[in-house]
Amino acid sequence: MNAVTLPLPAANRASGESLWRKAARKFGRDRLGMLALGIVLAYFIVALGAWLGWWAGGWADLTGTKWEPVSSGHWFGTNIIGQDIFDRAIFSTATAFEVGLSVALAATLIGTVVGAYAGFFVGSWSDEFLLWCMGVLDAIPFYLFVAAVAYALTDNPWAMQVAMIATFWVGTARLIRGEVIKLRGMEYVEAAHSIGVPELAIIFRHIVPNTGHIVLVQASITFVSAIKAEVILSFLGLGIKDGMSWGLMIDESTKEVLAGFYNNFLAASLLMFGLVMAFNAVADALQDALDPRKVG
Amino acid sequence: MEILQYSLRKLLAGLPLIFGVTLVSFALMVYFGPDMTYQLLGKNPTPDQILEVRHQLGYDQPFLQRYLGFLREIVTFDFGVASTGEPVTTLLAKTIPVSLILILPGFILGHVVGLLLALAAAYWRGTWLDKLIMAVAVIGMSVSFLIVIIGFQIVLSSSDGLDLFPVRGWNASSLGSYLSYVTVPTLATMFVALGYDTRFYRSVIVEEMTRDHVRTARAFGLPESRILLRNILKNCLIPFITRIMFSIPQVAIGGALLIESYFGIPGIGKATYEAIVTGDQPVLKAVVSLTAILFVLVVVLNDILYRVVDPRVTLK
Amino acid sequence: MTGDSSRPVLKVRDLTVEFVTEDGVVRAVDSVSFDVQPNETLGLVGESGCGKTVTGLAMLRLIPMPPGRIASGSIELDGRDLVPLPNRDLEDLRGRELSMIFQEPMTALNPVFTIGNQMTDVLCRHRDLTRRQARPVAAELLAKVGIPEPANRLDDYPHQLSGGMRQRVMIAMALSCNPKLLIADEPTTALDVTTQAQVLAQFRTLQAEFRMAVILVTHDLGVVAETCSGPSSCTAAALSSRGRPQTCSAARGIPTPRASWPRFPGCAVTGYPSCR
Repeated sequence: MNAVTLPLPAANRASGESLWRKAARKFGRDRLGMLALGIVLAYFIVALGAWLGWWAGGWADLTGTKWEPVSSGHWFGTNIIGQDIFDRAIFSTATAFEVGLSVALAATLIGTVVGAYAGFFVGSWSDEFLLWCMGVLDAIPFYLFVAAVAYALTDNPWAMQVAMIATFWVGTARLIRGEVIKLRGMEYVEAAHSIGVPELAIIFRHIVPNTGHIVLVQASITFVSAIKAEVILSFLGLGIKDGMSWGLMIDESTKEVLAGFYNNFLAASLLMFGLVMAFNAVADALQDALDPRKVG
Repeated sequence: MEILQYSLRKLLAGLPLIFGVTLVSFALMVYFGPDMTYQLLGKNPTPDQILEVRHQLGYDQPFLQRYLGFLREIVTFDFGVASTGEPVTTLLAKTIPVSLILILPGFILGHVVGLLLALAAAYWRGTWLDKLIMAVAVIGMSVSFLIVIIGFQIVLSSSDGLDLFPVRGWNASSLGSYLSYVTVPTLATMFVALGYDTRFYRSVIVEEMTRDHVRTARAFGLPESRILLRNILKNCLIPFITRIMFSIPQVAIGGALLIESYFGIPGIGKATYEAIVTGDQPVLKAVVSLTAILFVLVVVLNDILYRVVDPRVTLK
Repeated sequence: MTGDSSRPVLKVRDLTVEFVTEDGVVRAVDSVSFDVQPNETLGLVGESGCGKTVTGLAMLRLIPMPPGRIASGSIELDGRDLVPLPNRDLEDLRGRELSMIFQEPMTALNPVFTIGNQMTDVLCRHRDLTRRQARPVAAELLAKVGIPEPANRLDDYPHQLSGGMRQRVMIAMALSCNPKLLIADEPTTALDVTTQAQVLAQFRTLQAEFRMAVILVTHDLGVVAETCSGPSSCTAAALSSRGRPQTCSAARGIPTPRASWPRFPGCAVTGYPSCR
């Protein structure tokens, strides 16, 4: 039951404001969310710079001696063979974004398409088949799967990303499928059907855009999962092969830590924590902004 | 009786899943996997010797035949001999119990504590306590499991830290030594699980709190705490059970693998990791089959628990 | 016919309920006042969105308090103002002195507990009974609201009952502790017409038997007419679309909103103080 609004001195909101514009407005007022977004953008610029070669290019160079402490020449000190930790950490930011963005985009795209198709044709053979695929992928232990894909692709540097994409799309697919099942009963779908709009067009031009809020949040969750998974996979030797990543730095640091040298570990962990935490905060703020029930 | 029939039907429905998992895993790992021929031979093998070994390993058979052979192994539960020489089944019998007593405390405590925190956060929704719990949860979600493990090891076990627990290894011969070896892994597992679980539980509880029947309960004067712990909680059980059940395969294999590899604990996870690295097919085949079966069991158990918990669900 | 005592069971004065939304503060109920005499029915009518449900909820303070608040006014139950009352005391009153039944019987009952369980919850809370003692009382109440085989129904779950039966269960629960005042928020809107008539008829009988005051919130004038066509007296209070009491024609004390309202047979329509 809605109550009647008394005329307010502030600008009148037209009732036709779209979900997105309203969400953007709400997000803009969320100070924590905006701060987090700023942090993510800062990281992105750092990554972009490293990727373009503007800085941290010398991450593999032996510029110092073993285990130097923090100094003005080496902001985080050096690792066991004398490479500058700070440079390595910065370069790893680029790797993180590479991995995170590629996996998030691909997995979310695949998940959305598959989920929407399965949801629209719920109960049909294609739906059952796709559900079976999702079940199978869920049942295979993640690390085994990555290892298997690494084998199958014979040490292709993209093996890890492929394996991640192949597992992460399932979560998004299930959510989109559930939402599409709900939405397909809506009247605008019936209306479109009755005027002869082809089914694929109904799915992808009418229904899927209404799942945008789920897609966006899922993409950010996948981004974070990919970065976190990379750390563990690189530690297990199944991750990044050439280049540098936070996972590889932590892998290096496992021996160093037992000898009492923590710089490598701390540099990679703190940097990663910063990005992931900020990204999670952005995803939360996004979810709040898109939730029609939450008051700003 | 009804439950038994239902379970059997569900297990049968799970067969395609087992086929799928084993097929995909088999194709990826065993078929595309490393060629073990030359590792088993010495230097300068003759062509005959090569053929001999390939035959032993079954490489000369067509794919379908090898796959069927794999299925037979699953049914008879005989996976042959690991690269270390011992039968795979013995290896499993040795390592699985270790993994169980390693993972179980962390798993149970993670969910219990997560639920308690979520209840507190939901009950005092919007207050500083809620915000604090959620902030801690986000932190838990934002740290990689590996970092948590290493971090806890540094802080709790190393000589620079508190030096309270052993750095790595495993000795469960007595309760005391079991406790000292299991604590750090348990704390690490809990820390990571708390992040995701607490947030999930809280969102389910808060969602249930908006239901009409809660307003009815209030209208009849039932105290708020009782409403939360009885009326609301029982309605949350289905999503809770799903969550807990489906975290079993993840936690059991994934979590175990990492912890055991890192702490040097001789469980199934470590064995799996070593099998991956060395390409030890018999062990890998066994692990894959077990996970597939475990997954199907989880699905069936999940559905049965639904029926027990929610009177609206009927066994079809 | 007026009530037995001259003191009203419920006295509401200048009640204002506001909600804080992202578009500003919204006033759902604006300075509403009315009295409810013992043993009488007050019909609270108005179009959808005029604030009548919020008024009903405000009596028991069931409005979600973070966005909502009682900005001003008093709600006196038997002389005692409920607005400043702490929650714990209010919990004692709810269900015992004041009861409420809701619009949607489907969702108003807890789906995972049996009817018997939910009824005995209320009985044990307010009357000094153990669960075992409360069961036969619950069965008796179910019989009174016209549910066949009441003892068996106690072990049923809400989804096993029809909409009409669920609403009767709600009524039984609401009456179980002999409240002085019952607030019925659109009790029959979610039911089909035949069930509606049955439930309303039951309602009237019960009201007479339990000698309660009733606030009937509804947008359906037919329901008001139905409930008020009997020996119990009935007052109609109309809320305008802005949650304000309707302007009345001072002469006859009948609220005359934009459209003219029918007179209800057997209803003593009294003007009330805030009628201008």
